[in-house]
Parts: sequence; C-alpha cells; structure tokens
Amino acid sequence: MLKPTPMKHVRLLVLTEDLPRASLALAETQCFHPDPREPESERFATLPVRPFHDLHTQAQSRLDKIARLIRFEPPTSLEPMRVIEQDELARLNDWLGRLWEEVSNYEEDFRRLDDAERLIREQQAALENFRHLNIDLGMLRTRTRFLNIHVGLVPRENLRQLEGAVALAGHILHVYLEGHDTVHLVIVGPSDDHESDLSPVLAAAGFQRLPIPEELDSEPAKLQRQFARRLDAIAEERATLTETLERWSEPYREPLREAQRTLRLAEPLVQLDSALRSTGHLAHLAGWVPARALDALRRRLDAALAGRYALSVRDPLPEERPLVPTVPVKGRLLAPFALLVNQYGIPSYGEVDPTPLFALTFLIMFGSMFGDVGQGAVIALAAWTLRGRLGRFWPFGLMAGGSSVLFGFLYGSLFGYEHVLPALWMNPLSDPLLMLRLALIWGVFFIVLACLLAIYNRWATGQWRESLFGHHGVVNLVFYLALIAGGTGLVDGTGFGIWPASLVAGSLLVLAWHSWLHQQAPVGEKILVVVIETLETLIGYVSNTLSFLRVAAFSLNHVALSIAVFTLADMMGAFGHVVTVILGNVFVLVLEGGIVMIQVMRLQYYEGFSRYFSGDGYAFRPIRFGRGPA
Amino acid sequence: MSQVANQAYLNTRVSVMTTRLFAPGLIERLAQLPLPTLAEEFGLAPLLDDQTTPAVRRRAVEQSLIQLLLSELLVLTRSMEVNARALVFDWGRKYALYNLKTLIRGKLHQLDRQQINDNLFELPAHIRLADKELFGAENVLELLRRLEAGPQRQIARQAREVYERQREPFALEAAIDQRYFIGLTRRVQGFGAPDHDWLRRLISAELDRVGLLWLLRFRFTYGLSPSETYYWLVPSMRLLTRDRLLHLADLDSFEQVLEALPAPLNVLIADCRSIAEVQQRLARYAIDEVRLVLARSPSAVARALAYLMLRETDLMRLFAVVQGRLLGFDDQTIRHALAQIEPSP
Repeated sequence: MLKPTPMKHVRLLVLTEDLPRASLALAETQCFHPDPREPESERFATLPVRPFHDLHTQAQSRLDKIARLIRFEPPTSLEPMRVIEQDELARLNDWLGRLWEEVSNYEEDFRRLDDAERLIREQQAALENFRHLNIDLGMLRTRTRFLNIHVGLVPRENLRQLEGAVALAGHILHVYLEGHDTVHLVIVGPSDDHESDLSPVLAAAGFQRLPIPEELDSEPAKLQRQFARRLDAIAEERATLTETLERWSEPYREPLREAQRTLRLAEPLVQLDSALRSTGHLAHLAGWVPARALDALRRRLDAALAGRYALSVRDPLPEERPLVPTVPVKGRLLAPFALLVNQYGIPSYGEVDPTPLFALTFLIMFGSMFGDVGQGAVIALAAWTLRGRLGRFWPFGLMAGGSSVLFGFLYGSLFGYEHVLPALWMNPLSDPLLMLRLALIWGVFFIVLACLLAIYNRWATGQWRESLFGHHGVVNLVFYLALIAGGTGLVDGTGFGIWPASLVAGSLLVLAWHSWLHQQAPVGEKILVVVIETLETLIGYVSNTLSFLRVAAFSLNHVALSIAVFTLADMMGAFGHVVTVILGNVFVLVLEGGIVMIQVMRLQYYEGFSRYFSGDGYAFRPIRFGRGPA
Repeated sequence: MSQVANQAYLNTRVSVMTTRLFAPGLIERLAQLPLPTLAEEFGLAPLLDDQTTPAVRRRAVEQSLIQLLLSELLVLTRSMEVNARALVFDWGRKYALYNLKTLIRGKLHQLDRQQINDNLFELPAHIRLADKELFGAENVLELLRRLEAGPQRQIARQAREVYERQREPFALEAAIDQRYFIGLTRRVQGFGAPDHDWLRRLISAELDRVGLLWLLRFRFTYGLSPSETYYWLVPSMRLLTRDRLLHLADLDSFEQVLEALPAPLNVLIADCRSIAEVQQRLARYAIDEVRLVLARSPSAVARALAYLMLRETDLMRLFAVVQGRLLGFDDQTIRHALAQIEPSP
C-alpha cells in the first residue's frame, strides 16, 4: 500500500482520422495521463485537434450560459458511445450560438426588471427626502422656459467629477440623498446652449433620471401604495417572464441534454489536445499509464481501432522521474487523510505515499492527546450527522472521534469525569512521568521511522549518496540511535557508554566531512558552515525528540482542564453545576480539540513530512468524459 | 520582518536593480544597434528566428520585454507590506487593461478568437484578468457584465453604463483609463508619511502629464465641450489640481491653455506650437521627476515604483528600436521615435 503504483510511458501512433475513436477508448479505460512534451521526431509539428478544442470550448461556454436560464436534466448515461466529428461539433456550436442569442434576450429582460425594481426602491428611499424639501416639487417635473432641471442618481464614485463638469456647463448640483453606492441629486441650470453640453457628461457619469411622481406633494401614503403596486407588477412580470421562458424552452430541453452528452463525449479528445501532434495522416500521442492497466488499454484500443495503431511501451527513464504522475491511494477511509497530505504536496513518483502511515499515526496521537469517551463520541456523532455537509471529510471526524473514545476507555474518562468509568489502563495524571517517558519513546519511534522512509525514498529515486549522507540519511540515523542509546544510559546511571560516544563522534565527523566536500567557499567560511551544520544536527535531533513531549502534555492538560471545569461546577448549585459541566465540555471540545488537531498536524508536517516527503510530484489525472455544465 | 527591515531590504533591492537601467550613453547608442547585436546584448532570441514573420517577431519581443518587467515587479513586491504591494500591482494592472481593451476592440470588430488571442499579453496570475471567462463572452456588453462579477467591478460597471448609453469605444476606453488613474490616486491616499508625499509626487508627475495631454486632445482635437473634457480628466495632487483643470478646460484656445499653466509647466512648454511638441517636453519633465524620486526618496515603495516606471521606459525604448529595425527604418527615424518615448503611469 505504501509503494507507488508502477507507471509506464506509452507512445501511440494512430491515423489522424481515428483520433476521436482513440480518445473515446482512452477515456473509457480511465488510465491514460497525457504527456504534453514535444515528440522526438520534428516531423510531428501540427496540432491536429486545436480547431476541435476551440469549437468545444466555445460550445461548452455557450451551453453553460444557457444552462443558467434553462434548467435541464444532465444526461444520465453516455451510452451508446459514439464518435463526435468536428463537423458535428461545429453544427452544435452554431446552434448553441443562435440559441444563446435568444436566451440572452430573456437574460436582458430579467436584468431590465432588476434595474426597474432597483429604481423603484431608490424612489421609495427618496420619497421621504422629497417630502422635506422646501420647494414646489411641481417645478421639478416640468421643463420651464428659463430653467432646465434634472433629478436623478449617479454612482457615488462619479460625483466629484460630475460636480466640476456640471459647473462648467453653467449648472448647479445639489445632493439630497446619499445611498450605499449611489447619490441622489438635482441639477439645475439655464435652458440655453449649455444644455447640449451637459447631456454627454450626464451619460458618461451614468446619470439615471428619477421621475418625480405627480402625487408626491399631496398623498405620500398613496404614493407608497403605488410603489408597492409597481413592485408587485414587476414581480408578476418576472413570474410571467419565467413562465414564458419555461414554455419557450420546453422543446429545447431534450436537445440541450443531447448537446451536453455530445460535449461530454467530445471532451476526451479536447483533453488530449496538448499531447497530440501530427504529420499528414499520422498522429502521435504520448502519455503515462499504470503498468497494471496496460492489457486493458491494449484490448480497448484493439476493439476501437481494429489494430490500426502502434503502441510502444517503456519504463520511465531516470531523468523523467519528476514528470511521472503519481496514482493517489484510493479508499473511502483514507480519502480525507489524502486531502490533508495533499495540502503539503503530492508524493513524487517512486516516493512512499505517506497517507496510510499519516492516517495511523494521526489517529494514535489525536486519541492519546484527547482521550475521552464522551467527547470522542460527540465528535464521531457530529461527523456522522453532518456527513452530507462534510462530504469526503466525514470519515475523518468519525475516526478521530473513535480514536478519542478508545483512548477514553484506556484513561477511564467520560466527559471529564475520571471516576465513572474504570480505566482500562490508567488516568494520565496518576503517573505524569510515565506519560512523558512514553511520549519520548513515541517520538524516537516516529523520528526513526521518518528517517527510514527518507532513506528508502532517496534510495528508490536513485539518490543513494543522499540516502547515506544527506539530511536524515543513514549516517544521521546512526548518529541519532547512538545519541538515544547514550542518553538512555545517562538516565539509567550507567553513563553515556564508549560505543554510543564513538558512534556519535564518528557519524558527526562523517557528516562534517561530507559537508566539507560539498562547500564551495574560502576555508574560513567552510569551517564556519561545517561547525554550524554539525551543531544544528545535534541540537535539531534533541529538540525534535523533545517536541513529542507535547503528546503527553496534552493528555495531562485534558485532565487538568476537566478538573478546572469541575472545580468551577462544584462552586455552583445543582442547576449551575450541570450548566457549567455542559459549557465546560463544549469549551474543552472546541478549544482543546482545535489545539490538539493543530499540534498533531504540526508534528506530522514538521517532524514527519519535512524529513522524508518531498511532495513535489503531481497527481495522475487520466483523461475522462466531461462532467456536465459548470 | 519589521517595517524598518522591510524598507531597508526593499531599498537595497531597488538600488541593486537600478544598475539595470540604461545609462545615457547606451540610450544614445541604441538607435544605431543592428538586430543581431540587439538580440545578443538584451537576450532577445526571438529576433533571430528567421522562420517567423517580422510581425510575429515583434510580438514575441514585446511579450518577452513585458514579462521581464513584470517578473521584476513580482520580485520587488515580495517584501512589501499589503498596501504597497496593492499599489504596485494596481500599477502593473494596466497591462491587464490593455488586454481588456484588446478584447473589447476584438468583440466590437467581431474578430475571431485566434486574432484576439494573438494580441493579448501573457500576464502573471496576480495581474491578469479572468481571460478564459471573458473569452466566452459573445459581445462587448456580455464581456463587461462578466467583468463586473470580478475584481475589476468598478471599472467594468462604469464602462458598461457608458457603453450602454453611448455605444462607442472612445467613451468606453476613456472610462477604463479614468477608473485606472482614480484607483491609483486613491491607493496613494492610504499611505502615511514619508511614503505618501513621495508617492504623491510620483503619481502626480504622471497625472499632470497625462491630464494636460488629454485636455489638449479632447478640447482642441476631438472638439469636446469644456464640461465633457473636464469630466474625463483625473485631477492630480500637485500641479493640475481640480480647480486648475476646471479653469483650463474652460479656455478656448491652445495658446490660452499654455499661458494659463502653473509653474514649472508654463516655462517648460511656453513656446510649443503643437500637441506633439508638448507631449515630448512633458515626457522629459515626467522622467526627470521619476528619476528624482528614485534618487532622493526615503520611501522604499516610491523608489520601487519609480524604478519600475523608468525600467518600463527603457524597455519601451528598446522595443521602439527593435520595431524600427524590423520595419527597416533608418537611424534618424529611430532616434526621433526614441525622443517621443514617455513614461507610462
């Protein structure tokens, strides 16, 4: 499970006319990851499906836009499979273009209604202000012989410029209401030649005229009713428009569904675009395929192309290793952990996929730091209840809660009560030193495991020198184990020991020598760097091991927090006691649960991944059929 | 890193990068360099690709020069704090706006995807528009509506409203440029001393130059009214302030405007007879101001932006020479073109 899926590099030569059929076959097997590198032969210089790609992109974009207004069920199946030729795609694209032109009219109608509604709401807001203006509002409605009056609104950001421009046109501007994005204003000026100067300015500033209602100065309540009626009318118009659109679009639903099916069938060829080159009637395609899927691929190509193809297969070359995609681990339980691993990086080809190990050690550490039957059950129950919302992440909550329950039984802890359940092992606070010692042992085990993985990963990817002398390589591991052996001797009172001391000194000397050989600097600088690096190795391993004390510290902290909650609860009456215990548990769940999660992630990323996991690979993404409108 | 450390780091970075600016001698020499020498000295490999047409080579060189400039911009922004980075990105977004204008013109003239695509710049993620989304638009209005849903909301909204009313590209592009400059001046307002004073000086030098040129063109070449001319201008924070622009836009002749200009612009362009002449002198003035900021400013972000402006001017000079050579112009014509190069805000 830890080993990567072996991959093969394949080169497929097919007739250009068979490309659509070949793409369908490749998509059906879901095992072909395109390799976009140029072919070795310079004869393959043409991009044969680029026009097909462009047509598909435009058609899909049009369908997505249409789907915003016309709801239709996506195709449930792509059967029967059929080849989509460029002519068919072009015809579909044209049809979608014509349909979009009509649908966009509906979209504009909906926008027009939105604008009308917004305008009425602006008028409603302005109503109160008009009522308090100490002027004859009738004057604002009518164009007089000498005065030119504009009442309306502009976007707030245009106001400052408009003020100056209006002044130059011989008008004055008065703002009577400021909204969030817009300002309401009155512009007044003489009815003369300047009026024609003002029109383009108002248009440029996005000035929107506000009609002054006839009844404004007499019956505001009536006016409000009128506004409400107009809003109702708009709502009704919108409903009618929706209904009309529904009726109008009815005959198009099935063709649109079929269009979606066609685009999905055409998508595999589009995905191959970057990896396809051709010359004349011959097309070249390269990609990566899992070794186990080769036979299935051959069978499918035989069936689809009736033997009119040439497939050459080889192992990835050493220099190609960074380009080989990694097949992710599968499994519902591991999926959420894989998401967390991918936050750090994708394993490069040849590296051990750390997901299973990450999952196991994560659960052990989380449970031991947050061991409580009740609180763990709450986490698991919450994950189960919210599984719809959490998507693929819910098993993570379920398993973390389960681990917490398991350790809760070992610690005998139920919602912080330490004497309700008999501890299967012991309460952490009853022997803190043992807890700390166990945490250190766990830390040593974890670091040794990480070093072994680092050694393996480098060895597997051909970096044998790095696996011996590099960071966390064999020499580092010897040094660390000797240091631990010597340290244990010191604690036991038997002294550091000659062998451990010799191994520590020897390995440090080897590391120093290796570092010296790789420095390109003056002698003084080399000495300085080597001394600092050696010291860093020593300090780094000691501090990294001590870092695992937090595993014990948090298990103790959990008990201590519970004691604090119960001390507070005991100071209350019966009702207060219950409330404090409940709130205290919520507090512990949220705050401590969150902190423990962060601490475990930190240990995994920093103490684990940074040692053995480069994370600079990229995921295996085979071509497949499209998934429908965005 | 602390504020002081950031300033020190950025200042050092700028000082190191300043050595890349063209020396006066090199600018003189540029007009005489043949294509192979240009390609060798400035690493412009596409120039020597005989398989492609001069237009394709010109485009490839332009693209690589812009990428060079924007990669330096990204390097400088790494150590900047949030406001400074936002200002510098906003400055660089003019290339995204060039792309937007290309898209709009392409849609207006109903060019196909490939033709539009050939004229778009490849831009880094921090600066580019959501080109893929915008490409899907079938016409200008749809394009602007799509743009409204993204970070260019303010520009797009105004542009759409202008276009819906006037249906012509001048107003649309003027609205886009105006929003861009207003955005820059607003960014500068958010800085404290000493950044604010020096950034104000830097941006104002550009706004004074652009403002005066626009004023002269809109009033006397396009024949717009004083009020419409003023509406499209962006007041600067130094010379051509709001009140001065109001006064200047209301004048009736080219000569009257030149006479009414504040110092030092009045002396600088007193005897100019054409807008082209004004443009050339203003360019020199703006470059001097930018150089002064780079040399004397204690503000690291102002120096970084000044460096980018000068660097861009240098790269434009280089591009002008390349273009001249590809078109087969003589040294004299190329030298004349070099004199027209102005810093772009």
